[in-house]
Amino acid sequence: MIDFIILMGTVVCFSAILALALNFQWGLGGMVNFGLAGFYALGAYSCALLMLKGGFNTFFATLGAMGIVALVCGLVALVTLRVTEEDYFAIVTLGVGEMLRLVALNEDWLTKGALGLTGIPRPLGELIPAPVYLYFMLALSLVLVAACVWVLGRLSRSPFGRVVRAVREDDVVAATLGKNVLWARVRIFAIGGALIGLAGSLHAFYFQYIDPTQFSTIVIAYAFMAVIAGGRGAHVGTVAGAAAVMLLLEGSRFAKELVPGLESDQLAAVRIIIIGIGLIMLLIYRPHGFMREYRLQVPLKDSLGQARSQPPKEAPT
Amino acid sequence: MLQTAFNGLVTGIIIALPSLAITLLFGVLKFPNFAVGAMMTVAAYMVYAVNVQLGWPLLPATAAVAVAFGLLCIAIDHVTFRPLRDRGGITLMVASLGLGFVLENVARFAYGNAARSFAIELARPFRFFDIRMNREQMTAMVVATLAMGLMYVLLTRMPVGRAMRAVADNPSLALVRGIDSASIIRWTWFITGVLLAVGGVLIGMDRALEPPMGTSYVIAVFSAAILGGLGSPLGAFVGALLIGLVSELATLVIPPNYRIGIPLCVIALVLIFRPQGIFGQMYIRR
Amino acid sequence: MKGFSRRRMLKTIGAAVAAPIGAPFLNLAHAQGSTIPIGVALPMTGNAGAYGPDMGEAAKRTVEMINKAGGILGGRKLELIIEDSESSASVAANLSQKFINVHRCQALVGYWGTPEGMSSRPIAIQNKVVLMVSSAANAITEGNTEGYVWRFQMKATDWGIVISRATEQSLGFKSVGVMGLQNAFVLPIMRVFEERMKALGRTVVESLVYNPEQPSYRAEVQRVFGKKPDAVFCFGLLPDFVSIMREVYRGGFDSKVVALSIAADSEGKFVNAVGADVAEGIRHFQPMPDVSAPGYKRFLKLMGAPADRVYLFPPNTHDQIAIAALAMEKAKSPMAVDWSKQIIPVGNGPGEAVDDVIGALEMVRSGRNVNFQGAGSTCDFTPNGDQIGRGMGQWIIKGGKSVFVEYAKP
Repeated sequence: MIDFIILMGTVVCFSAILALALNFQWGLGGMVNFGLAGFYALGAYSCALLMLKGGFNTFFATLGAMGIVALVCGLVALVTLRVTEEDYFAIVTLGVGEMLRLVALNEDWLTKGALGLTGIPRPLGELIPAPVYLYFMLALSLVLVAACVWVLGRLSRSPFGRVVRAVREDDVVAATLGKNVLWARVRIFAIGGALIGLAGSLHAFYFQYIDPTQFSTIVIAYAFMAVIAGGRGAHVGTVAGAAAVMLLLEGSRFAKELVPGLESDQLAAVRIIIIGIGLIMLLIYRPHGFMREYRLQVPLKDSLGQARSQPPKEAPT
Repeated sequence: MLQTAFNGLVTGIIIALPSLAITLLFGVLKFPNFAVGAMMTVAAYMVYAVNVQLGWPLLPATAAVAVAFGLLCIAIDHVTFRPLRDRGGITLMVASLGLGFVLENVARFAYGNAARSFAIELARPFRFFDIRMNREQMTAMVVATLAMGLMYVLLTRMPVGRAMRAVADNPSLALVRGIDSASIIRWTWFITGVLLAVGGVLIGMDRALEPPMGTSYVIAVFSAAILGGLGSPLGAFVGALLIGLVSELATLVIPPNYRIGIPLCVIALVLIFRPQGIFGQMYIRR
Repeated sequence: MKGFSRRRMLKTIGAAVAAPIGAPFLNLAHAQGSTIPIGVALPMTGNAGAYGPDMGEAAKRTVEMINKAGGILGGRKLELIIEDSESSASVAANLSQKFINVHRCQALVGYWGTPEGMSSRPIAIQNKVVLMVSSAANAITEGNTEGYVWRFQMKATDWGIVISRATEQSLGFKSVGVMGLQNAFVLPIMRVFEERMKALGRTVVESLVYNPEQPSYRAEVQRVFGKKPDAVFCFGLLPDFVSIMREVYRGGFDSKVVALSIAADSEGKFVNAVGADVAEGIRHFQPMPDVSAPGYKRFLKLMGAPADRVYLFPPNTHDQIAIAALAMEKAKSPMAVDWSKQIIPVGNGPGEAVDDVIGALEMVRSGRNVNFQGAGSTCDFTPNGDQIGRGMGQWIIKGGKSVFVEYAKP
């Protein structure tokens, strides 16, 4: 049982990194990435292929994957954001994500198509004996999650972060202030892409076998749920949100024992229905999730040490 | 080659109705509805229930379900989108994504995964010059064109339609003029429901009925609407035909299993060169 | 947002964690040590979702039957944990981990799709647990499986061999078109088939691969059937085949169609979906149980199905459980590290041929050797886990019903 918890913990970690990426792109940057599943596949396949065909070790393959996804995301942002309509951006990313998945499925000279890539090496897989490896993997994943949260936190608080938020709130004003809106958005999307590449690499290391079926569109729903539950823009909250979503998902498998009378395929449909309804309800009732962006947590006393009478109004989403 | 072009027209006709629905919704409600595919799936299954399980012929079944589904869409809007109305297009879009998952799996819950078909006779084709066409395709063309015609009349001649266009153009001004936006929204959803129900039936006639059937059209539908200009009904129709044509003709040069990339390329090209599409108007959204 | 503090959030997360983690302890605490858990991963959703439910039903009835007759290993009952693999490799991998680590299963059965088998294979071997799959792709049993991976299906390349030989011997097509679904087991079949066609001097006018869940297959049908080959071999799954055949019929194409039974029959679902006219004349092949074998007839009775029903996959699930039970009984141990070595002895023999698992269990208990003949096949294995002696059936659809033509082996 403990082993299972450790393994699930690792899955939570790379799902959390994926959610952090979406949080950065959408929560902070206001850019909806519906192609998340496709970029995730790109990250996993890049890492795996760099190792299997390129002979790189796990460290450089991960960096390579991060770079590749960041580059592709940056390009997509660059091409699409000539028009700033966020709605179009979503459909373009959806399309790109689909194309990436199709390439993974069809170009079997490269990706072995539907058969998938097996025997993917793991970081330090040779050095650490099998029984303790899962502890190492969990520790490594936790460290990486913490590192991502730290980096993103620093970015959010930095001048770049302020530009990002300004662009999200009102890009016309930001432009009039002389900020290069397009370039800021490209960078946001690319940084998010790097994180997606990292998550994909971890995914490849964990399962040691990747194939197109692992990157289906439902991944997007889970990521959005994690981000919304945790609070758009709040990094730690996103991680908690990812943990909650994953646990609910895996936990609902256990709950099956408690719900007789339904066929297995109906039960599976019900789980996804609950996820969808959960997503909608979160949007309606808890749009800020359970934690907030740091800047909205205002101290109860102002700078003169006097108590405020009321919390100030929140900014609109 | 002519045959391929004709096939493209057929494909285009099938996506014309959902493209129209998307463009209407976007015009009035200002968000892209990613549940459009799943909505068509649910409507198609409802028609299946009436057609196959209750035994009604397809035409009355479709008519009955179209009305019922229109009402259902109003209900869905009331529950899902109305509470989010003032949150902006992105939130509504994400909600529509969730809604899509729910609807597709409701269909799966009720009918399982096996592919099904409506209870209609499949027809052998007849030849018109060198092109094979059949009765179903002709029916689809007639139905879609009729729907377009009706929509045109609705939007230009009838008060409801004009009110919809007013709300789409400038909601505050429409309010000042006494147009009840809540009622207009209900009408929009009702019409959307009818369009999607008929669209779903056309898809179900074209290929197997199964839970993921509608979702596979989402990209093409959006591409058609964007190409034609989001908010322009005529644009949706023309855009759909063009997307269908280009997709099928492209298979003469690219491998067919990548033809989903065509709508995507079209979107990219439109956004780069003429973001308002063919018939749309540039507008600043503030 | 007042009042919803971090503390409350942490409490909620804590509750969300505790509930699912606690549940198995509540459920299984009393069961530890008395029942023998078997993990069953089947596709109930996803693109193979049509095939899972029947396999699950077969597993349930088999276990019920064994338990009613007293279970195994001194009265211990078998307990099934059936989960949806969602036709996905990562879900299946997580399920396998859950079966092994939480439910303490020593047998993992079901595993219809190749990705599910491929991702679970290293997990099973690492944990010394037996994995029984029903998938065709050769890669699953390649390499060193240490005796833990067992295939209850015919290898993909063998399918191609049988189909091409049937074509050569009885079907006489001079020109063929080939279309296949982008899927792990289809591609090896297509490749072998095409090679052999070319070697036999037939023309392959067009060969293409298509994606699952496409909005339409018009272009593919146009491309292949438009070249008017004598026959088109279509290797796909039910949903895409339904769409394709509708397109073929409406396009008025004349080529004969040959397909796989999981698409063209699927226990009658195909004819239901397209109607007898469209289905007329389609031939289909599938590795199938020998329907004349007593083991299969017994299985039909177990499922309560009519005598002419052809089940393609559920008999494999029945056999997986039967072999596992027999091997455990023979090894006198529920641990896979012991009974995995007994799979070949109970399946291949030497011993008395028996097709009834209850009778076989009694024989094993009394120390006699058995050679179990299953519902899906004779359950004879090679040392690296492939099943031998399986054959493919060939049918042709006439008047809305599949009419059996012949049964052939590779």
